[in-house]
Amino acid sequence: MKAVLKKSILILLAAVFVVSLAACGSNSSEGSNTGDNGGKITLTLWDQSVGNTDPSAKLIPQIVETWNNEHPNIQVKRTGTTGEQYKTKIKTALSANEAPDIFYGMGGGSFMQPYIESGSVIEITDYISDETKSKILPGVREQMEAGGKVYTLPVYTHIANLYVNTELFDQAGAKVPTTYTELLEAAEALKAAGITPAVLGEKDRWPGMYWFDIIAIRQAGMDAVKEAFQDPTKWNSPDFVEAAAKMQELAKKGVFNSSMFSMSYDEMLGAFNAGNAAMMFQANWVNAGIEDPSSATKGKVEVVPFPVFEDGKGTVGETFGGSSDGFYISSDSKHPEEAYQFLEYLSEQLGTQGFLMGAGLPTWNTEHLDTSGLSTLDQAYADLMGQATAFIPWFDNVFPAASAETHKNLIAQLLAEEITPEKFAQEMAKLEPTELSL
Amino acid sequence: MNSVFSNKRDILVFVLPTLLIFGAIVLVPIFVSSYYSLLDWNGIGAGTFIGLDNYVEMFTDSRALLAMKNSLLFAGASVFIQLPISLILALILASSVKGEGFYRTVYFIPVLISTVVIAQLWSKIYNADYGLLNTILENIGLGHLAQDWLGQRSTALVSSFIPTLWQYVGYHMLLMYAGAKSISPEIFEAAKIDGASRLRTALSITIPLMKPILKVSLVFSVIGALKVFDLIYVLTGGGPFFTTEVPSTLMYTTIFDTYRYGYGSALSVFIILECLVLTVVINKFIKSE
Repeated sequence: MKAVLKKSILILLAAVFVVSLAACGSNSSEGSNTGDNGGKITLTLWDQSVGNTDPSAKLIPQIVETWNNEHPNIQVKRTGTTGEQYKTKIKTALSANEAPDIFYGMGGGSFMQPYIESGSVIEITDYISDETKSKILPGVREQMEAGGKVYTLPVYTHIANLYVNTELFDQAGAKVPTTYTELLEAAEALKAAGITPAVLGEKDRWPGMYWFDIIAIRQAGMDAVKEAFQDPTKWNSPDFVEAAAKMQELAKKGVFNSSMFSMSYDEMLGAFNAGNAAMMFQANWVNAGIEDPSSATKGKVEVVPFPVFEDGKGTVGETFGGSSDGFYISSDSKHPEEAYQFLEYLSEQLGTQGFLMGAGLPTWNTEHLDTSGLSTLDQAYADLMGQATAFIPWFDNVFPAASAETHKNLIAQLLAEEITPEKFAQEMAKLEPTELSL
Repeated sequence: MNSVFSNKRDILVFVLPTLLIFGAIVLVPIFVSSYYSLLDWNGIGAGTFIGLDNYVEMFTDSRALLAMKNSLLFAGASVFIQLPISLILALILASSVKGEGFYRTVYFIPVLISTVVIAQLWSKIYNADYGLLNTILENIGLGHLAQDWLGQRSTALVSSFIPTLWQYVGYHMLLMYAGAKSISPEIFEAAKIDGASRLRTALSITIPLMKPILKVSLVFSVIGALKVFDLIYVLTGGGPFFTTEVPSTLMYTTIFDTYRYGYGSALSVFIILECLVLTVVINKFIKSE
């Protein structure tokens, strides 16, 4: 009996170890997944494009398939995960050194910065040929090379502008605003007609941040904003206090929906697309939803630059947005050269084809493309891009992560009148400086 | 067979696989988290050892203190609102009412539905623009009471408690129902012969005999309240202005939005300790009675 027992314990222990070893084994190979089979390699790709109305979600699988057909020896395996979950997933994988060969990263600053600093992604400066560079739009190329070291190639870009429901404006007899005074007048006229002037999904906090950030850019001017990022004490200046006061004034005057603090970003889009509000300040990624056949506002929406301020230093060409998200190569990748080849192919294909499908604004040369099939909103954006004189990425991407959170929370408090504009500016001055090239 | 169960080594053979799995996915991460909680670490690269600074910060940070207060309030609401409702429902169902099986199933359905679905459902009920609650209030002439339930300080916390209390009423009801049903029917017959009323039977016989199951319910309910996450996260995300923040949502934002793995780990260790301590206290408290 004893001998049998001993044996069974041994067998059991052995089995447990084998199982756990096998588990470890499959784990470590899943990360890089680069088994060599007679010169044939497999690259893994993670991205966050899975939504129904997201053109990239349709394009990426097509691009990967074309690549796989043309390159039988470099096969790409793609996994898509939805937005917020993607962020958690890629952060966890990067921390555990199990990142895929190529992955999507939010550009502009706080998301990728820690991974660039820790060497989790490889620098691709030397891989980029002059021919490739010549295909990237000059302004974008300048921004890309500003830091000296390049980690990603641009795909497409996004800028934020004011969306106006012309039908509701006509109903209320209001004029599409070009100045701050006109914005307030339009809001009064819309309210008098029983229409919510602007819709804001402040539960997610970043939509409100977009409003404040453009107000700050219009009030203080782009250069002052850039200086304040480098030296946060400059946030506590009369211009930014005035920007905060204007933001609070808009909330006090009922420009936004009263339900803003419980409304999410998705609900905000739903409300605007259903024609429940006359204005929304968002970036061009909402175009597809507005132009969708199911949208009640299809064909009734115009996109205009955010109004300029009579007492402001900002000009109409100073544009909020322009940061380019891109794909990065993990330093765990066993085939960085092949990964770069694919990265270049993917970035250019997605950048150009995505533009044609309304996913974003172009960063690659599009002269050879036929743009007649673009929707009216996308064509309007092409004009706005042409008028833009300077870009500044979303502030929450520029700030270090903790400061970005504080920035968004302060704006929510400002909207709820829990803090004064002066207090807001004082708190903003306590944020961390950021050294990223803008 | 009896000799197998009395032999310690034999017991080990049966317990070992589960123990190993439990250790690998529960115990080891707890110890690793405890170590991380002593670091100033952004999740990548090396962390700096800072001793108990994270814990000191936790007990001085007004946001963390508010989250702890909220979770304790929530635990209180679970014990004093949720459990009594469950108990009453369980006693009624156990006293052989008509349609016992039907009601038992109906009350248990919310437990089976994913919490995310429940949260979406209730966020539509509370919606300020087209929500069910506001629509009903307006239709019965109480339109002045219609408000943005989840979007303002005064109502957000209570509004986010209600769905969780509602969801788990059925769960505790089922536990208590099983407890009440397992009491021998002879005792009830004896009480009937002695002329005890239904209320007297419930108070003097059913509830005292259900004490072990009530204790289990109490522990589950308190721990469930202390570590609630998914419902709050979907419903309000801890907002507006941290009004509905609980330690687990704060832990999540700390780790995944601000990259502070050390401080986030300290919060997770706090949640574990809080649950352990309260479980021990509840067990002591009920035994000594």
